[in-house]
Amino acid sequence: MITQSAPTPARRPKTRFDDGPYLPLVLGTISVVLCLLVWQLAVSWIGVPHYVLPEPLGVFHALVDGLSGSVSDRGSFWYHLLDTFKTTAFGFLIGSAIGIALAALMSQSVYFHGIVFPYVVVLQSLPKIAIAPLFIIWFGYQIESKIAMAATLTVFPVLLNSLQGLTTTDSDRLEVMMALKATRWQTFWHVKLPSALPLIFAGLNLGIVYAQLGAIVAEFVGAQKGMGVMMLQLQSVSDTAGVFAVLVVLATTGYLLITLMRTIHRHVIFWENTASKSKTQSG
Amino acid sequence: MNDMAEKPQLLKVVDLTKDYSTRSGVHVTALPGVSMTLEDGEFVSVVGPSGCGKTTLLKILAGIIQPTSGQVLYRGRHITGAQRGMGVVFQSPVLMPWLKIIDNVLLPAKVIGLDRTAARATAMELLELVGLGGFENKYPFELSGGMQQRASIVRSLVHDPAILLMDEPFGALDALTREHMNVELQRIWLSRRKTVFFITHSISEAVYLSDRVLVMSARPGRFIRDLRISFPRPRDYDCTATAEFGDYVKQIRQLLVRHEDHNS
Ligand SMILES: Nc1ncnc2c1ncn2[C@@H]1O[C@H](COP(=O)(O)OP(=O)(O)OP(=O)(O)O)[C@@H](O)[C@H]1O
Ligand SMILES: [Mg+2]
Repeated sequence: MITQSAPTPARRPKTRFDDGPYLPLVLGTISVVLCLLVWQLAVSWIGVPHYVLPEPLGVFHALVDGLSGSVSDRGSFWYHLLDTFKTTAFGFLIGSAIGIALAALMSQSVYFHGIVFPYVVVLQSLPKIAIAPLFIIWFGYQIESKIAMAATLTVFPVLLNSLQGLTTTDSDRLEVMMALKATRWQTFWHVKLPSALPLIFAGLNLGIVYAQLGAIVAEFVGAQKGMGVMMLQLQSVSDTAGVFAVLVVLATTGYLLITLMRTIHRHVIFWENTASKSKTQSG
Repeated sequence: MNDMAEKPQLLKVVDLTKDYSTRSGVHVTALPGVSMTLEDGEFVSVVGPSGCGKTTLLKILAGIIQPTSGQVLYRGRHITGAQRGMGVVFQSPVLMPWLKIIDNVLLPAKVIGLDRTAARATAMELLELVGLGGFENKYPFELSGGMQQRASIVRSLVHDPAILLMDEPFGALDALTREHMNVELQRIWLSRRKTVFFITHSISEAVYLSDRVLVMSARPGRFIRDLRISFPRPRDYDCTATAEFGDYVKQIRQLLVRHEDHNS
């Protein structure tokens, strides 16, 4: 089922393999190559029909085919990918802006929190993908309804993580501001928001994945362009290799988006891995 | 700035009590009703066993927490919240890791809305004074613990407060750095003439720095002695080796031992 695509893990352990030994990389490569080999051999020897499981080589050809067309060519991946990317980008930007703004207001005002919280709970427990048909009624089959879906899926992980970050500020830091008689919003801008950035980014990292998910789902439900649309077209003609090729493209763009977010994350929160040193050192 | 002839009471605390109610509903009396005064330009230290309510008292003076009863009078006026005429140095430096040292120490100026160029000049001068000249563009994590604490002292001074409240600022430092910081703090105090309220676990630190040492009993903390230290200023660190200094230390030690078994 479409809706079953597994969410990425919320938080990654801090240590990375980036600068570690090459062994994991080598093992990973070997594993992938072996898997592809077994797959190829299994399909050709056991004789699984191609519309059930295509050969890796068939997927590769479909991929090359799809990628060789131009952006204006309706049959090329680029034509659809561009639309999906636009949807993801706008949905992500709008969704995270709403998520962060709501979290900011909720953390700053108990009244606002009280008013908004019931809706957050209700909407959060709703399988949000089920709203997609409604968006089509409201926004039509153009990109607007897709963006609405992507934004909706982005809002919640960003909102909840940001709220968590903004409401768990280190009390020592707050006391510094209290001693200065800082106003509520001064404390917000100077201390709460920067302190919350690590968690806000945890939310944004999830958000970008959800934005793409929302775009694809909206395209499945009803749209004229996009990778989801392309996938349905390929499926309708039993071009399973083509469907696989689309999946490869989506995995790649997903990976690139996550990597982009992580890079921004590391540059914005440059102090993250060193912060513990400057925080507490009680005797 | 505080070069008046007579010494008016700058800060006065009358019958201050503080009860904490824990989540289990049990009340803890941290302060049973303490009174004290700080005169303008004085350096006053508080020593007392752990948990006797020193930090509680400091946070009430700073307006960070509210007393259960009693009054805090600042320049004769009853106050209930934080005052911008005070600077606070916490036990840990609590610098903001995303700000350069210069921006960290300018935080009070920003919050209060002081003139930027003037505040910057003051900050640079103070950083120089505490030996952090040339480090203004570093981030906190690029500095040692002692340097961070010095930066936090600069932050507490940058808006030129009349009163400096310090909560065991050198507690986490090694003995030598601590000694060095004591000498520097005296120098800052002599050049800026603040009124200082200084909490410490180190009796000799208290005696070396202070005009008066207030000795507190175990929780609920009361002041059991107000000891005037009459060494001339500026004090050379070698004065800590004199017999007179030793007498002060011994006297305070005995007071603490008599009231509680564990002390520093
Ligand atoms: N937020 C709080 N809630 C409940 N009890 C508290 C709270 N803060 C302090 N206390 C209690 O009040 C008493 C005094 O605490 P305080 O921190 O003022 O002691 P202190 O003299 O500063 O100790 P130390 O020298 O170890 O720093 C302690 O017994 C402590 O357990
Ligand atoms: Mg304390």
